[in-house]
Amino acid sequence: MALPIANQIRRLRFEHGEMTQAELAERIGMTRQTIAAIEAGKYSPSLEAAFRIAQVFGAPLDQVFQWIG
Amino acid sequence: MSFREKSAWITLVTVLLCFGAYFGTEFAHWFSGDARSNGFLLLKCVGAFVILQLVLTLAAAWTTPKDGRTPRDERERMIQARSHSIGYYVLVVLMLMLGVPLHLGHPSAPEMMFYALLGVVITGLVVSAAQIVMFRRGF
Repeated sequence: MALPIANQIRRLRFEHGEMTQAELAERIGMTRQTIAAIEAGKYSPSLEAAFRIAQVFGAPLDQVFQWIG
Repeated sequence: MSFREKSAWITLVTVLLCFGAYFGTEFAHWFSGDARSNGFLLLKCVGAFVILQLVLTLAAAWTTPKDGRTPRDERERMIQARSHSIGYYVLVVLMLMLGVPLHLGHPSAPEMMFYALLGVVITGLVVSAAQIVMFRRGF
């Protein structure tokens, strides 16, 4: 089931020193599997988690997540 | 595979093995016309279930030590909540179905306990299966 939210997490991870999913997960207090699910569009994170992810990359929220309807 | 998903698989497999053995034996007796309830077999199966759960959960925590020590994250909490919500409705339906043997005859108290335990075990299987599906497919 495709969710109506796209994300740039994979690209941003590689632009930030090829950060692994596990590193990102540890920095925001989630499991690697949850990061993988978010990246694959299988899970929409909470607003708080979305802000945490954006904060790690130092990017505004709308550069990390996009509503695609 | 995360520690929580491993836990769901462990529950599914151990419930199937231990309670499958119990209910399989009881139903075999029932179909052969010997409908005695075997409390000792139930105790043995519950004991095996507890020991298997402990050993396999320790093994899962050993193979994924980081996951095993950290609290559930938001996705894992949501999967747990949704699977238990599904399990609740399954349990309600199965408990309402306990009225069927009451309507068909006069089952004894041990027989009613047997059917109630079957309902609880089926609910446990549904909860674990729902968790595995949600971990695998997302939601």
